[in-house]
Amino acid sequence: MTPPTVEIRFTGNGRSYRPGETLTGDYTLSGVKPAEIKALEVSVLWQTEGKGDEDMAVHFFERRPPDGDGPAAVRPGGRFSVQLPPSPLSYQGLIVKIRWCARVRIFLNRGREVVGELPFRLGDVPPAHPATP
Amino acid sequence: MARLIRVYEKKRGHRCTGTGKLGSAGEMLFFGGVFLIGCAGLVVTFAQVVIPEWRVNHEFIANTCRLLDARVGQLAAEDGVRYRPELQIEYQLKDRVYRTWTYDIRGAYYPGREEVEAILERFEVDPVNPREYPCWYDPADPSVAVLVRGYTWWYWLLFAVPVSFVLIGGGGLLYGAARWGRSAERVAAWTGRAARLDLFQSGKNGDGEYPATPPVENVTNSPGTRLKYRLPILASPGWPLFTLALACVVCNVVVAVLAGIAVQGHLSGDPDWLSTLFVIPFGGAGLVLVAFFLRQVARVTAVPPTLLEVSDHPLFAGGRYRLFLSQPGKLEVRSLAVLLVCEEEARYREGTQRRTEVRRVHEEEVFRREKLTIKRGATFETVCDLVLPSAVMHSFQAPNNEVRWGLLVRGRLQGRADFQRAFAIVVYPAVERPAV
Repeated sequence: MTPPTVEIRFTGNGRSYRPGETLTGDYTLSGVKPAEIKALEVSVLWQTEGKGDEDMAVHFFERRPPDGDGPAAVRPGGRFSVQLPPSPLSYQGLIVKIRWCARVRIFLNRGREVVGELPFRLGDVPPAHPATP
Repeated sequence: MARLIRVYEKKRGHRCTGTGKLGSAGEMLFFGGVFLIGCAGLVVTFAQVVIPEWRVNHEFIANTCRLLDARVGQLAAEDGVRYRPELQIEYQLKDRVYRTWTYDIRGAYYPGREEVEAILERFEVDPVNPREYPCWYDPADPSVAVLVRGYTWWYWLLFAVPVSFVLIGGGGLLYGAARWGRSAERVAAWTGRAARLDLFQSGKNGDGEYPATPPVENVTNSPGTRLKYRLPILASPGWPLFTLALACVVCNVVVAVLAGIAVQGHLSGDPDWLSTLFVIPFGGAGLVLVAFFLRQVARVTAVPPTLLEVSDHPLFAGGRYRLFLSQPGKLEVRSLAVLLVCEEEARYREGTQRRTEVRRVHEEEVFRREKLTIKRGATFETVCDLVLPSAVMHSFQAPNNEVRWGLLVRGRLQGRADFQRAFAIVVYPAVERPAV
């Protein structure tokens, strides 16, 4: 039996986006029966990496409950679409790094969780280098 | 064998691996305990303070009594003896005569004997012909009576302690309950929405038009004289100087008092050599502080204030702007330069310490003038271009991480210490935008 996994794909296999552009993607769940799923959360977020303590902010968040027939109901696969903000742009600094990603988190019965994540770039800021006076 | 459950594994600061639910449960247990202690304290305070005074004022029945005796009650406490007024009264209800020592319902002790004696002086004790006074007795227990009624408002301050426990514990419980079983993304989405509802946010920054950027109001609320905005100076020397002056005064006053005591001892022929030896190094430290303070004052006031104005704000990466620099004299300048700088700042916890690390990632000279003489009463003024690179990171501000842009005015002076003044600017990401 395969372990439960979440696979995320961006439409057009794009991994780099401009501010204001629409990010569209889909996800598929495998190794899990629909009856086992309690809820599912789709989010598009940025978080910092590097020397400082981690900061995080969610730009898009949607929680899909298990029951119901509407578009927000949990299904083995789904789509999401979100217009990206003008900031903060993805950044590879010396001690501050900003990383964007789409994340799908499935809540299974018995308190289990499965997380799938796919990073992408927002903007095209080049990596930073130490300043030379 | 892998462990089934990670209770708590600390990596650094707030970064932890382990069982989030167990941690949340521990937090909620702690705050639940604080809340319960607060509730118990509230109940006890209510029962001890509010209910007895309310009953005296609303349920006790008025009567008259005869005053038989008066004394100062004493209680030996840890911090000394405490006192309270005690008056012996006698009153009759139907066929029964009650005799008791009383004053008010609280029976509280006072720290000063004089205060209690002043209370007792209001009552006249006559053993031969006892005087009559009004009293109030408890209908539920007629043996309980008081000579004074009213509310002790300052006593209600006692409520501050249990109320603070209830607020802290309740707040922690609510916060824990709001996070319980919720993912980090859900909590972040919730707090993000709460921040956007913040009435004090102007909406011109942060999660407004450009999320995670610093506020621009500090710049745009100060109009310039030549260009649109006057840039605020960072790290004004006023507060550090004030702190230094305060340290100078405190240190030297302490030294003066100790020195006075030591000198008095010497003059009276009973010198205390230990205290004299103790004062000498402190006196030296006081003098060093005074010298350092005067040097700092001379350094700060030696260079008159620098003014820097910008043609627009916030700035956009890739944009072209105008800068106005004004530097009054008198100064003999070897070089005067304006630099555009960008720094990354990361704040983190290391053990119990909060640390900050800053790295400069961009430094570019936008103006430079060599060998300049600014006479007393004259002002050097210049307007120059400020061109921001297009392929750079914009200003970014989050609780623990920051990308900060600024302008530095750096002066190298003839025969004097160099000076540097920093001005904050906010840079937004590059957009298709006409140049100013």
